[in-house]
Amino acid sequence: MNPVLEVRGVSKRFGGLAALSEVSFEVARGELLALVGPNGAGKSTLFNTIAGVAPPTAGRILLEGTDVTGKSSHALARLGVARTFQLVTLFRELTVLENVVQGLHRHTRLAVLDGLLGLPRYREDTRRLAERAEGVLALLGIAAHRHERADALPLGIAKLLTVAIALATEPRLLLLDEPAAGLSHDEATRMMDLVAGEVRKRCTVVLVEHNMRIVGNYCDRAVVLQFGRKIYDGAAAGLVHDPAVVDAYLGVAEMDG
Amino acid sequence: MTVARVAALLLALIVLPFVATPYALHVAIVVLFNVTYTAALYAVLRMGYLSLGHAGFIALGAYTCVILSVRLGVSPWLGIPAGGLVAGLFAWGLGALTLRLRGIYFALAIFAFGEIVTAFFRAFDWFGGPAGIPGVPRPAFLGTPLASHFAFYWPVLVVAVLGIAILYRLQYTRFGAALLTLKTAESERLAESVGIPAARYKTANFVVSCVITGTMGTLHAQYLLFVNPQVFGSTMSTDLLIYAMVGGLAGFWGPILGAGLLTALGEQLFSVGYWKTLVYAAILMVVIMVLPGGLADLPRRLRAHFGAPR
Repeated sequence: MNPVLEVRGVSKRFGGLAALSEVSFEVARGELLALVGPNGAGKSTLFNTIAGVAPPTAGRILLEGTDVTGKSSHALARLGVARTFQLVTLFRELTVLENVVQGLHRHTRLAVLDGLLGLPRYREDTRRLAERAEGVLALLGIAAHRHERADALPLGIAKLLTVAIALATEPRLLLLDEPAAGLSHDEATRMMDLVAGEVRKRCTVVLVEHNMRIVGNYCDRAVVLQFGRKIYDGAAAGLVHDPAVVDAYLGVAEMDG
Repeated sequence: MTVARVAALLLALIVLPFVATPYALHVAIVVLFNVTYTAALYAVLRMGYLSLGHAGFIALGAYTCVILSVRLGVSPWLGIPAGGLVAGLFAWGLGALTLRLRGIYFALAIFAFGEIVTAFFRAFDWFGGPAGIPGVPRPAFLGTPLASHFAFYWPVLVVAVLGIAILYRLQYTRFGAALLTLKTAESERLAESVGIPAARYKTANFVVSCVITGTMGTLHAQYLLFVNPQVFGSTMSTDLLIYAMVGGLAGFWGPILGAGLLTALGEQLFSVGYWKTLVYAAILMVVIMVLPGGLADLPRRLRAHFGAPR
């Protein structure tokens, strides 16, 4: 069986600057992979190339064996790639429930004509969407906030909502950009327990993470980038003993995490 | 709105021409024009885009119909959909180019477009030049032109009701619901990441708005019996924005309420010329300062203020 994601020799240049140089790795179905690296190592750039925001300068990206290089962000979402952003990004003026309903966009059947004519099918679909959105909220334990506006949420809940929106698309591959960053110890534990538990049961997960405690405790495998090159690809547990990785992180406080 | 309310409103609009004086019917027709334009403008405002040149699309519809009927002898009936089509084609091209801009940049690009449209018609004699084109024919029904207010009211009512119904229901399609996610560049990125084709949706919504605007513009020119570059200039564009803001931007019916009330008031002030602009501007300032949610927000504010004791 094909891996869910194959990154083959991906390079990304911005002018003369090489943000990524021939990065290759695979992610197997059901895996929880951490993408690790110091600031500026190219993690976010790699996320953006996989998610279709910025196509790679060279190399290929395959989703379950199909070449998806250069596809747009919304096309990739329809093919089953979902992602969160490093900065908490929500539909700020909508409620928590409405945010998740928007995440269900690719599963709505509210064709324009049904909605225009207010056919029974339209009401049926609206009810079905709300039910599914409630299901996702319950899964992440934030259903009590359903009617609150997204821009009024505390950070911990807001970050869970970003995962809920992405999960609502029912992705094959979920890319989480620093899901635990900025959270308190308890909030981070709650988030990562969910990611490694309920979320992981539903899709393959790749996450960017700085915190070595989180990588070691929750992830199967880690890929480490430095200056846009892959310097480590192996068991997450072995990460802290690898000389190259220790060297790259030397003096970085988060190593202790 | 409930089905009963919609039915009552429709019934009132159908009965109206049988009981109203010709002057009252004239006011009703002008109200229907402006209410439709403002509802169409609101569809664009709702996705976070300030169209400062929407009257340019009224002008495109109006001139298309007038050129076809006066210069080329085409039936005024055919001119109505043709005007909507031309406005829609321009909206398509312009939308694809400018909807990637945000905030003031988009607003000014559309403002410039509105100015270009009227400047173009003013520049060429074949398009009427500064004086415009008089003698615009009205469509005929069973061989008789729709000359009276009573007769012309019906096509205006049909386009207004159809246009507003489409705009209203469109909010509840998956397309219309997704438009609420495109208000900022940041939220647009999130929308793309869940599979919403943002650029395509924005352009499509802009086209729908402008087709309805342009279609009504054809009837507007036929009603006035002339077109000139001034009627559908930038003042018209800002008037539409004033209607929408005075009515309130929180929901679909606010802009319609604002357009209805201010147009009816404006027609009373028509005889005193510039008073209309002055009064509109004054009302806008008062509403923005004391009632930022617009007139549609008034019942809620009153309830909050004089709320029933528990």
